[in-house]
Amino acid sequence: MKLVIMTLGAALLSGAASGALAADTELHFIMCGGEVRAADQAVVDQFEKDHEGVSVNLEAVPWGTCQDKSLTLAAAGDPPSIAYMGSRTLRQLANNDLIVPANIDAAAPYQPGVMNTVTIEGTQWGYPHAFSTKALYINCGIIEESGQECVAPATWDDMYAMAKGVVDNTEVAGVGLSGKDFDNTMHQFLNYLYSNGGTVIDGATGENKLDSKETRETLEFYGKLVDVAQDGPTAWERSQLRDLFNDGKIAMYVNGPWGHGQHNEDINQLVAPVPAGPSGKSGSILITDSIVVFKGSGHEDLAHDLAQRITSGDSQYDLDSSWGLTPILDYTKLGKDDPYYNDGIWPIFTASISTGGPEPLVEDFKSLQSVFTNMVQGIILKDDTVDNLVTIAAEELDDAL
Amino acid sequence: MAELSAQASHAAANSRTRTMPEGLFGWLLVGPAMLFIAVIVAWPLAETIRLSFMDAGLGGEKYVGLANYEDLADSRKFHQTVVRTFYWMFLSVGIKLVLGLIGATLLNAAVPGRALFRVLVMPPWVIPMAIGCIGWLWLYNGYFGVLSGVLMKLGITDGPFEFLAYKSSAFYSAVVTDVWVGTPMVTLFFLAAMQGVSRDLYEAAWVDGAGRWYRFRRITIPQIMPVIVSMALLSAIFTFNSFEIIWILTEGGPRSATTTLIIDTYKVAIGNYKFGEGAARAVIIVILLAAFSLIYLFFLNKINKRYGAK
Amino acid sequence: MGRSDMMDRYSKLQMVGIYAALAVFLTFILLPFFEMFMASLRPLEHLFRSPYQFWSDDFSFQAYKDMWVTVPLLGRYIFNSIFIASSVTLITMFFVVPAAYAYARLQFPFKNITLGIFLGVNMFTGAVLLIPLYRVLRTMGLLNSYWAMIVPGVAFLIPTGIWLLRSYLEKIPRELEEAAFVDGASRMYTLRRVVLPLAVPGLIVVSVAVFIGAYAQQFLFAITFNQTRELQPLPAGLFEFIGYQSVTWNEMMAAALVGVLPVMLIFLFLQKYLVAGLTAGAVKE
Repeated sequence: MKLVIMTLGAALLSGAASGALAADTELHFIMCGGEVRAADQAVVDQFEKDHEGVSVNLEAVPWGTCQDKSLTLAAAGDPPSIAYMGSRTLRQLANNDLIVPANIDAAAPYQPGVMNTVTIEGTQWGYPHAFSTKALYINCGIIEESGQECVAPATWDDMYAMAKGVVDNTEVAGVGLSGKDFDNTMHQFLNYLYSNGGTVIDGATGENKLDSKETRETLEFYGKLVDVAQDGPTAWERSQLRDLFNDGKIAMYVNGPWGHGQHNEDINQLVAPVPAGPSGKSGSILITDSIVVFKGSGHEDLAHDLAQRITSGDSQYDLDSSWGLTPILDYTKLGKDDPYYNDGIWPIFTASISTGGPEPLVEDFKSLQSVFTNMVQGIILKDDTVDNLVTIAAEELDDAL
Repeated sequence: MAELSAQASHAAANSRTRTMPEGLFGWLLVGPAMLFIAVIVAWPLAETIRLSFMDAGLGGEKYVGLANYEDLADSRKFHQTVVRTFYWMFLSVGIKLVLGLIGATLLNAAVPGRALFRVLVMPPWVIPMAIGCIGWLWLYNGYFGVLSGVLMKLGITDGPFEFLAYKSSAFYSAVVTDVWVGTPMVTLFFLAAMQGVSRDLYEAAWVDGAGRWYRFRRITIPQIMPVIVSMALLSAIFTFNSFEIIWILTEGGPRSATTTLIIDTYKVAIGNYKFGEGAARAVIIVILLAAFSLIYLFFLNKINKRYGAK
Repeated sequence: MGRSDMMDRYSKLQMVGIYAALAVFLTFILLPFFEMFMASLRPLEHLFRSPYQFWSDDFSFQAYKDMWVTVPLLGRYIFNSIFIASSVTLITMFFVVPAAYAYARLQFPFKNITLGIFLGVNMFTGAVLLIPLYRVLRTMGLLNSYWAMIVPGVAFLIPTGIWLLRSYLEKIPRELEEAAFVDGASRMYTLRRVVLPLAVPGLIVVSVAVFIGAYAQQFLFAITFNQTRELQPLPAGLFEFIGYQSVTWNEMMAAALVGVLPVMLIFLFLQKYLVAGLTAGAVKE
């Protein structure tokens, strides 16, 4: 009872006194992902120790609602001080004058392709903080059970044959296919597109190159995979596929390096590069998430300081190695002689850095996502022909640019 | 009564409201509520109407006149959304009314245990909608939901079936959940109305040899018709704007199969940050609902005349 | 009396029919709860068990213990939900009762138009007005407090409250009021001492309906207007079970069920009055 009275009192007080705490500076830090990673938390703690009177309100928000939340706050005039978000939001934030450019040390040895994801027309808008490439995870136990040899399929045809073998001989689905209206559906599709020599937006000219033979081949393959995938792909996104994989319900799916640690120990995993399509070489999508500093918070200097600390060589290394991310910096140049990514499954993930393609950086990334979701769901639900879907998608992409 | 008037006389001594004109007193009572609504709702409303004439986004706004409305008038997709919304509303409300009548009749029946049953009907109404929808998400899942499991056991499907992954099944699943959320309230209000019907009417008919079905059709329904009609309108308005249910289940997918006007509005305004276009849609929702209500009330008048008014 | 009882007698077959129909009806109503309960019993590793299994050896109530650890503020969230809904109800009724009386009994200029406007407010959901509403609340300094969730709730429930209460108040015989008036009572006095006591069943019904409405719509306002974790109501708090890696479904279901338990219990106590109130109201429009 006393607890109830106390909480009631505290509640009334907090309701009344919400405006009174202006003395200390508080940074509102929105961390997308729903969980605060230990390496990041350590940096924040150190930051608070070094700056007296400054506290950081670290708020973890799940990916599905996070970017919307930050943007809604900014739109209504109440921006967070600093946020960790997908780099795809940078263009919209920058074009709408909601963030300030990043002060990145020009000498920092970022991996090739990383700086592209945060640079718009020469200015860098975000501090890269997480990098990922993708690969194909295969459950060898299931493959062998279906009477096949557990080797990495090199081409799409190989992959399809392997999946079909699983479906024909076991109760398990061959492939985990994602088709949900979620951002990583587009990523999943692009993994295949970039393994087929396809392009979405030309890096040099900015032209819309979606309407192409490569895209059609990719979409057709994606449609073919429906026959050997789990039921109802339009209800699944990548993290759910991981759960299915763990439960032994799918034989293979595409995920980032962190997946390896998230899979059950009793699964005999084989990590393979994404199989190559008829028109290209094995590649992957390159995605970064970055830290952005919002405009108008009143303490942008503090925010920059925190951003630099959290993305500096040592802290970044801690994060990359502990969380299982593709290395964002070339750590050998920073003096680490035996970085974590030299052995094990890592070479597969680092190999695709040079052959991969970026997540397109457009202002209206929601519409970009819709373009791909519509196209992918269209073929999954067999709503229309490959040809029509690609043509429509290319037109919609023009509208979104 | 005498006691009352003694107290009244005491009270009369210090009361200005006795001599206050009726109109003024009326406004005194209604005023606070109106003021509250005006501040909290009216301004955002006016702002929404204003925004509908703008091209407004994260970066500011620009006057464009009727452009947003013209785009909507030309958009085939929008027409489909409007049709879909009305279909959704008629289907869901229709089922709710029928189930509500059936449920109320069952609960009205003089069988032992009915008090318990009445309480058991209430949970979907009492709990937060978000929680109920999460339960339905679980039910509709192909891999660990009981519905898919039952289908498999009965041999109707030979693998898990994802209800929310296909266009028709997603739509009808959303309807089922919406019906689930709304039926208890309709049932209980119908039940109360049924219990208010005078027993004499039934007795008279029974004495004349009328059977149950006859009594139901000729006495119960007409007697509770006003309630049916007002619940129908209220339910129609809520169903038209039903947001949380569809959003939690499918977010409007797959491929717009469950996108009603309110979902579309939310996606455009909050999802794509196109406040102007979102506002135009919001205004259209209000116009459509107002038109629907007027037409409905017009027919209501006719029904009142036919069944005899209060 | 004996003869008319016969009217209610059912044949054996009809009884069976009624119970069967009730069973089907109630199964539909209670299925999600049953499923949520089953889900809360499963251990996390075997959550996604397919094909569907009805019972399993490793079912346990472990989730009910773990959930307090995973989300330490759970008790606070449950309290918040009830507190917010109660506050909304009290404040709403404060505005609704006088207004409903005015619409039921009095004539005043613009009466019908304003009533129509109140109904019109019902036609919106908060979902549509979110961003302008955010700005209004911010200007008033009410964000991130309990008020942020109470104020919008009240605003959207006032119209419903007025509509529902009005029909109950219309049924109170005018003669009683007129008698008091003749005896010298002021209008306010009449309202307070004569009308309200007679309107108690209606008041209860409408209060309960408003409470349920407030309880049900907390979610949207809470996630948009409030960032402070300690003040969040249960539906928003449940989202904390969604972590970066996976969703602890079993604990979330357990928390959801436990969270609605207090309200269900309160409801159980009140249901007698509720049905009586609905009956006494005999909502004949």
